[in-house]
Amino acid sequence: MGATDSTADSRAAARHTGRRRRKRRLGIRIDMTPMVDVAFLLLTFFMLTTVFSRPQTLEIGIPEDETRVQIAGGNLMTIRVAADGALFWNLGQGAPQLVTLDQLGPVLSARNRANPHLMTVLKVDRQGRYEMAVDVLDELALAGITRFTIAPMLPEDLELIRRAHKE
Amino acid sequence: MGVRLDMTPMVDVAFLLLTFFMLTTQFRPAETLPVVLPGSHAASKAPGGNLLTITVTSGGVVFVGADVPPGVYLPGLPAGPLRDVRVAMKDLPLLLVRLRSTNPALQTLIKADRGVSYGPVEDVMKALQVARISRFALVTDLERQI
Repeated sequence: MGATDSTADSRAAARHTGRRRRKRRLGIRIDMTPMVDVAFLLLTFFMLTTVFSRPQTLEIGIPEDETRVQIAGGNLMTIRVAADGALFWNLGQGAPQLVTLDQLGPVLSARNRANPHLMTVLKVDRQGRYEMAVDVLDELALAGITRFTIAPMLPEDLELIRRAHKE
Repeated sequence: MGVRLDMTPMVDVAFLLLTFFMLTTQFRPAETLPVVLPGSHAASKAPGGNLLTITVTSGGVVFVGADVPPGVYLPGLPAGPLRDVRVAMKDLPLLLVRLRSTNPALQTLIKADRGVSYGPVEDVMKALQVARISRFALVTDLERQI
C-alpha cells in the first residue's frame, strides 16, 4: 500500500511540477518594445540615407553643334577664367575687368537686374581648374541666372585677358 | 494590462523592410573610382535611373557608365549596363552617340574630380556636343552656407 501510495504521491508530485512548469512557460513574455524601437530606428535611418545618397547636380545646357545664335553685343556678358584662376567679366565688346569670386555674385545680380535679356557666356582656360568653373556656375545658379552657356576659350580671349592682366 | 496587442506581424514587416533597405544601401555606392567632387550650393538631385555618367578622375582619365536596356549589345563591350568603362577621349563621341541611340531617355552626368584641370572636362563637353547631348549636369557635393 505504502508503495502504491508513494507512486501515487510521486505521480501527483510530477503532475504538479509539470503543471507548474507549463504554467511558468506560459508566463514567460518577452517585452519586444525595445527591439521594435531599434528596428524602426534603423529602418528610418536606412530609408533616409537611400533618399539622400542621390548626388547634387548643377544643370547646364550647351548649344547644339553648328548652331549659331546672334545676340546683340549689349546683351552679352562674358565671364573668363584665366589659367591662374583670375576671373574677368565684361559686357559686349568692353574690356575685361578683374573680379574676385566673392564680388562676382553682386555683379551678376546687378547686371541682370539692369538688363533682363542678358545672356552670360562662361569661358574657362583649358589650363584652369575645373573647380573654378563649378564655382562660377554655382554663383550663376545662386544669382538665379538660367540664361547662360559655356564656350571654349579662343586665342582672342587669351589675348584680351593678357591685356587686362597688364593694366 | 488586460489589452495586449500581438506585435509579431508588425515586427516581421519592420525587419523585412530593414533588411531590404540595408541591402540596397550597401549595393548602391559600389564605386571604385576615387573622385573628390567640387562643392556647390545646387539643391537639385540627380535622377534615379536612366543615367549616363561620365567620370573624369584627377588624372584626367575618362570612364563611362550607363544604363543600357536589356537585349541591347554595344560592339566591343559586354552586355548589360556599362560599369565605368575606361574610354579614350577620341572614342568618346562615337560611344555617346551609340548609347544615346540605344536609350534616348538617358540623362547625362559629368562627375569630375575637383582637382582636374578644365581641359579634359571641356573635351568631354565637346564630345557631348558632337553626340547632340545638349543638356547635362555636373555632379557636386553640397556645400554648407557660410
